Amino acid sequence: MAPPSRVIAAVLLLCGLLALSVAACGFAIARGDARPATPLGKPSFAPVPPGKRAPVPSATAIQAAPMPVSLVIPAIGISTSLIQLGLTASGQLQVPASTAVAGWYTGSPRPGATGAAVIAGHIDSYQGPGVFFRLRLMRPGQRVYVRRADGSVAVFQVTAVHTYLKSQFPTDGVYGATPNSQLRLITCGGTFDPATGHYLSNVIVYATLVG
Amino acid sequence: MSFSAKAVRLAKLAAAAGLAAGSLMLAAPAASASGGVGWLRLAHLSPNTPAVDVYLYSFGNPSAQIVLHHVSYGTVSGFEQVPAGEYTVAMRAAGAAASSKPVLSTSIDVIAGHAYTVAGMGPYSGLRLQVIPDRLTTPKGKALVRVIQASLQEQKVTVTAAGKTIADKLPFSDVTAFQAVSPGTWAVHAAGATESTTADITLAVGTIHTIVVLDDPSRLALDDLTDAAGSKVLPAGAAQTGFGGTAPRPGGPLLPWVAIGSAGLLLIAGGATRLRRARVLAIRAR
Repeated sequence: MAPPSRVIAAVLLLCGLLALSVAACGFAIARGDARPATPLGKPSFAPVPPGKRAPVPSATAIQAAPMPVSLVIPAIGISTSLIQLGLTASGQLQVPASTAVAGWYTGSPRPGATGAAVIAGHIDSYQGPGVFFRLRLMRPGQRVYVRRADGSVAVFQVTAVHTYLKSQFPTDGVYGATPNSQLRLITCGGTFDPATGHYLSNVIVYATLVG
Repeated sequence: MSFSAKAVRLAKLAAAAGLAAGSLMLAAPAASASGGVGWLRLAHLSPNTPAVDVYLYSFGNPSAQIVLHHVSYGTVSGFEQVPAGEYTVAMRAAGAAASSKPVLSTSIDVIAGHAYTVAGMGPYSGLRLQVIPDRLTTPKGKALVRVIQASLQEQKVTVTAAGKTIADKLPFSDVTAFQAVSPGTWAVHAAGATESTTADITLAVGTIHTIVVLDDPSRLALDDLTDAAGSKVLPAGAAQTGFGGTAPRPGGPLLPWVAIGSAGLLLIAGGATRLRRARVLAIRAR
């Protein structure tokens, strides 16, 4: 019979080999999970919608802008129908259930009426790009078209694009009163926090109705 | 041409291009950030003053930025978004040459994020251009309303709305402060010494209104101006509009696997040492 020290040595060797192979597998799987950011790619073709242009509302006009039905942004290849968004039970902005469409917040003025109309959409789903994936690429001067229920089109020009930490969300600047007709487009941006499943920032596009 | 001369020319060209880009940006209000703009609207609220042409000049710029032709009594323009800064508003008789001396003019300092109404007020004999600051925030769940008294026929007018007196014997060409009222559609009643009128006016939550009392032409009339509007309810906090499907992923933590691997190496080293020692002992024992 072999001395006990030889058995212990064999056990140690086996355990060591086992640990090494487990570690190698774990290491490979952890490395394989890593992924770079999805490239922005080429925007799809989104032509400027035809239709009568919405007039800039005068101070005395009755505020009866028609309902918004779709959104087109040729500069970043967005063409989407618009759903209606309300508030969640906790008073936050409801977001579209689908990541492929954007929604208009029904508590905000209708696009083309006096005030800031608010439209929100997802940057991405669990799998890939959402409707507002390229929103962060928008630049001042670019145009945003909102088609309305009567076939008319409200044309907005981007004045600013800002990214804010969600903890410093500019509620008054986005939802507060404005003296002219404006538009806010909201999506997520910045760093994604896998622990909470949320992005840490919001990207907001500010635009003003042009006649 | 020598190399250095070429370089100087290139630098000059670049500087000129930079200047041109800079002046273009100054000329385009839409290009500036939302923080750098204010709003202006122009009004004619003098009952016995004939129609006028109203000019808006950016300070130091002799060509008008906005011209409103043939503005008659009771007309209020929509708000124009302008870069913050100094402006001059001038009034000329309708059809008068742009180069003629204005009947009236006033200067106004537009602060970023603020709105102003510049109105021709008072009787023709004492016409003045008044800068009336507007407001852009409402108390939570309320509407804001104020009254401009532009009826010459009725020297003093009392206006009630939403069960409140929002203007009490307001003299001609005067303006009240803003008052918070419960939102809703209200029968707004205005009464002078002899004339009175009532109009249904909707004051939605989060909106700001100016009610103008006018001569129409021998009776009283009410004009409801929407000064500003916002969301009825301000959603709490940020919007959760993403699931991370396009975000870069760092992958799982590697440290535990490195630790397990190192432990395995230690075990193998320990085992090998023991094995060698055991072999040495066995050889000696023979």
